[in-house]
Amino acid sequence: MASSGNKSINAKLVLLGDVGAGKSSLVLRFVKGQFIEFQESTIGAAFFSQTVAVNDATVKFEIWDTAGQERYHSLAPMYYRGAAAAIIVYDITNPASFERAKKWVLELQAQGNTNMVMALAGNKADLLDSRKVAAEEAQTYAQENGLFFLETSAKAATNVNDIFYEIAKRLPRLQPASNPSGMVLMDRPADRVANSSCCS
Amino acid sequence: MEKKRVDEHEVEPAAPVRVDRFGFVKQEQNSTEGLTGSRSASEYEREERRIRKWRKMIGVGGSDWKHYVRRKPHVVKRRIRKGIPDCLRGLAWQLISGSRDLLLMNPGVYEQLVIYETSASELDIIRDISRTFPSHVFFRQRHGPGQRSLYNVLKAYSVYDRDVGYVQGMGFIAGLLLLYMSEEDAFWLLVALLKGAVHAPMEGLYLAGLPLVQQYLFQFDHLGKEHLPKLGGHFAQEMINPSMYASQWFITVFSYSFPFHLAIRVWDVFLYEGVRIVFKIGLALLKYCHDDLVKLPFEKLVYALRNFPEDALNPDVLLPLAYSTKVSRSLEALKREYEKHNGKQAKAHVKPGQ
Repeated sequence: MASSGNKSINAKLVLLGDVGAGKSSLVLRFVKGQFIEFQESTIGAAFFSQTVAVNDATVKFEIWDTAGQERYHSLAPMYYRGAAAAIIVYDITNPASFERAKKWVLELQAQGNTNMVMALAGNKADLLDSRKVAAEEAQTYAQENGLFFLETSAKAATNVNDIFYEIAKRLPRLQPASNPSGMVLMDRPADRVANSSCCS
Repeated sequence: MEKKRVDEHEVEPAAPVRVDRFGFVKQEQNSTEGLTGSRSASEYEREERRIRKWRKMIGVGGSDWKHYVRRKPHVVKRRIRKGIPDCLRGLAWQLISGSRDLLLMNPGVYEQLVIYETSASELDIIRDISRTFPSHVFFRQRHGPGQRSLYNVLKAYSVYDRDVGYVQGMGFIAGLLLLYMSEEDAFWLLVALLKGAVHAPMEGLYLAGLPLVQQYLFQFDHLGKEHLPKLGGHFAQEMINPSMYASQWFITVFSYSFPFHLAIRVWDVFLYEGVRIVFKIGLALLKYCHDDLVKLPFEKLVYALRNFPEDALNPDVLLPLAYSTKVSRSLEALKREYEKHNGKQAKAHVKPGQ
């Protein structure tokens, strides 16, 4: 959960997504500015932290990078429970990974943390020739489900810092109280039917 | 036709890569030289003596091993704890684990599994092949012999046991084995471990729901509190639990993200004494770093638990500390307790978060 200090908050963030979508590579790019072509598979989960400055405050992300394989599913709740934010990653060259991403979104929605900021990352955006998932399709899906969406490339360092920065901006505690509702559309899962809405 | 792309072969760099004595590509800042590098003449002599003792104990092709183990189990245990000579490690592992017998009892089975069967996990395996020990010379070459062997062993296992199939983490175990033995030998050792030829079967680490991982984490959590109450209290306060740092210890038996020279020493003991040693090593790590760990806040704590200092990972320091840690009785009791609460536990895990 996002807990506030003076002007700094700690935010737990979890990365979820299919095997080989590039979860670890996104984190490695964000935290260390590196890219490794053959990134060792993540077993269990890995932990990183990184701070970003936004709106006169600093957000320290405590990042849980999880293992992608379906079999590890039973460990995932330990990492996403209580998280302030989630990045759901798929590989734009692999339609199955997009389907898997949708399942993660459903699961996060079902576990009922309405304040969780969710981002959808279409990774490997540098591999345009092999693209199998259209950006428009993902954008539409993201909009319908109250996620914000970016295509990223950990390899080319495209949109990686941006996605973390966007999350930081959308964390509830950082939203100014008088925030005009114009931008709510993307960051609040308002159209979630399961929850009786009360907010807007 | 011209559209079809030729599989690009990655050309290995002309300059030879610098590797350590186990074949891992050296990183500049890596300073394990003192542990793995040059050794003195007296050390060589001692090593020679050890090898002679081991050869005698094993006999030609392993013929004397069983007899020796039955007659002098404590000598065997003591020698294994000192480390198996590297040149005999592959054979010794097969004898200790019982995989040699499986191999002899099942001629042609491995070949059948590799060549004629197809596995639902093939794609999953392929995706991980180049991500398993990517810094080792044997495995780093795309489609090279190392990657091919690794693929074959994992595919064969996923056919041999379709309930387990292929699970991430198995690759590191298979990879470790392949550095000491042939594909077929590595496959049968994997079978011996997962099906329980000598010790309790390990397949529960990889079955749906990872039941054995959950049980081990429960046991480790309680053992930690019992052996290191002050640290246990600190962990509770900082909301640290073993799933944050220890799951890969069990899933890969320390073959993942631990220095190789330590991993193989752990494996020597693990094969003979069973999973107990994994708990002991885990506790020894916490014990060794205890005074630092109790001072750290959450975030630094998680980092420290995943990045132990080099001196803590020295086998000659860590292993004796682990041997002196007694866990057997508690492990048994905790297992029974876990099984009693298992139903409740499992439900608590899937309950939607707060």
